[in-house]
Amino acid sequence: MYDLFIAPLTETYFQKALIGGSIVALVAGVVGCLVVLRRMAFLGDALSHAMIAGVAGGYLVMKMLFGLEAHAPGMLLGSLIAAVTTVALISFVARISRVKEDTAIGIMYTGIFALGVVAVSIFRHYIHIDLMHFIMGDILGVADSDLWVSAFTAALVLSVLILFFRHFQIATFDPIMAASIGLPVLFLDYVLTICVSLVVVSAVSMVGVILVVGLLITPAASAYLLSDRLDKMMWLAALFGVTSVIGGLYLCVWLDSAGGGAIMLFCTLQFLVVLLVAPKYGVLARWQRMHNLIPQQQVEDILTTILRYGKPTPMEVIVQYVEQDKGLKKALESMIDDGLLTQAAESFSLTEAGDKEAQKVLKAHRLWEAYLESIGTPKEELHPTAHHLEHISDPNTVDYLDEKLGKPVRDPHGQTIR
Amino acid sequence: MTTENNFVIEVDHLTVSYHARPALLDVSINIESDQLVGVIGPNGAGKSTFIKAILGFVKPDVGVVKINGKSAQKAKGEVAYVPQRGAVDWDFPITVEEVALMGRYQQIPWYTSPAARDREAAFEALKMVRMEDFAKRQIGELSGGQQQRVFMGRALAQGSDILLLDEPFAGVDAATERAILEVLERAKQAGKTLVVVHHDLSTAAEYFDKLILIKQRLYAYGPPRLVLREDLLSKVYEGRLRIFSDVLAKEES
Repeated sequence: MYDLFIAPLTETYFQKALIGGSIVALVAGVVGCLVVLRRMAFLGDALSHAMIAGVAGGYLVMKMLFGLEAHAPGMLLGSLIAAVTTVALISFVARISRVKEDTAIGIMYTGIFALGVVAVSIFRHYIHIDLMHFIMGDILGVADSDLWVSAFTAALVLSVLILFFRHFQIATFDPIMAASIGLPVLFLDYVLTICVSLVVVSAVSMVGVILVVGLLITPAASAYLLSDRLDKMMWLAALFGVTSVIGGLYLCVWLDSAGGGAIMLFCTLQFLVVLLVAPKYGVLARWQRMHNLIPQQQVEDILTTILRYGKPTPMEVIVQYVEQDKGLKKALESMIDDGLLTQAAESFSLTEAGDKEAQKVLKAHRLWEAYLESIGTPKEELHPTAHHLEHISDPNTVDYLDEKLGKPVRDPHGQTIR
Repeated sequence: MTTENNFVIEVDHLTVSYHARPALLDVSINIESDQLVGVIGPNGAGKSTFIKAILGFVKPDVGVVKINGKSAQKAKGEVAYVPQRGAVDWDFPITVEEVALMGRYQQIPWYTSPAARDREAAFEALKMVRMEDFAKRQIGELSGGQQQRVFMGRALAQGSDILLLDEPFAGVDAATERAILEVLERAKQAGKTLVVVHHDLSTAAEYFDKLILIKQRLYAYGPPRLVLREDLLSKVYEGRLRIFSDVLAKEES
């Protein structure tokens, strides 16, 4: 136990990874909620890929002009410029040509990424950027300066989001109303894009270009499945982000794997668990609801069977006439609960409400039979076809058939319709 | 402020164009307060541009729109907007009471949280649309009519005297339509002016005090019997008029 859980904590590299990772994941989760709700997950992807060109550009400019080696603020600024350029190019291409947005996104961010890769290799004598580090991230090698940058970024972004929570909420939910009460909707969009860029930039050094979008949206998506309020969703997303980092780092130490990969793997597994067990929007809950749903058709079949039988009906008779006998017991129980049936010994009878329902369906059945006969349906098909059609028994349909057939009194089998 | 007249919306010689095509052409209209006004016209007639103009979103080529005597672009929040149901993300993590509370956002300074007074106002608004029992529900769990009422509640919580509704009756059944209409009537009695985009000519006469018939330019504004005239409708709806012959017949009788 000590070796598994406590020993890693005594290592400096692990502590730094834990602190840095948690800070980044926390703020990524919170921003990610807005990213998910605004359906701009692509933005995270585009931003992270564009970054490499920005970092290379920033590095190069600072070195050429000022002779500064690996100037962090310069590279940060370069990343932001590259990110904003990418976003602008995407919307430009999508707007002026017939190329749709998803394609424009794919073209632009791979293009800018490629530009970065080429630039880094051409200028490899001037700038020293480890491409592998960039693509995969290196959370276990987090430098103190990275920690400070991410802490500062996180504080800034969180302050903006907390202070202007309502503004972002309304601009995301109903931009028209937001504009109508005088909020600067477009400006808020820009602010959010910058926040996302900052978070992405500070997260890339830890989990790498490819995985950063996951850190942005996966915890938020997990939280989305669990919450009906935006503030709660943000809390949960922050929590899921942090647990991903903690879980992922232990996974990485135990399995001796890549840090970024382990974190995102843990994060994704966490999402899958939530997807499965979420009480309201989870797969199991959905399945349970579907399972508990008793088909109206089955209910109506049971009602008419008992009505036709004319006296308390034993189970065996019902089984014979109801098409789907799957879940029949459950259907009968729920119909007793709904006050449509009563059970005495092993037989079922209709209550007053049940009788009314059954009469309604039976009337529809007989009208449909009369209608089918009038359009020349062969006699032997009358009953089975009407048996399907009787479930279409809304007042409009029934009235229409009744009118059209001239309010018939008897159906083709000679039974009274009313 | 308007002291000498009681026009809450004044549109004066308004022309709005997109790429040299007029969406609205020389529209002038004065809307009095405390009325239920329907906006009718075929698709692409500029109804949504008209709404945007009242909300102050479009820059007119010529003309002015005044809300309570102020330029529409400056009168932020004096018109409450109720969006079309199709324009709302019903999966958004937000509850009924939070939507109603949004109506108060304009009054809350950015540095504070909503006060108890704001929550009360929001709840009062929900009571007016009879949605107080659903306050804690997520909005996607409601029926179509309930959803419409929640957004009506939000508009009422805004405290604006002018409510703008974009096709509130689209895609709801007859019973729901009556329920929504009842809310509109109550809002009118509470002194609101309601401008409603409507697409169903067969109910237009019954629902509204006044109608605006629009297709780029204003064809008529007035009581339904003066607007739903065959000559006007045939001009605006062209070949599609046959559908409305029974509407006209009803008007004549």
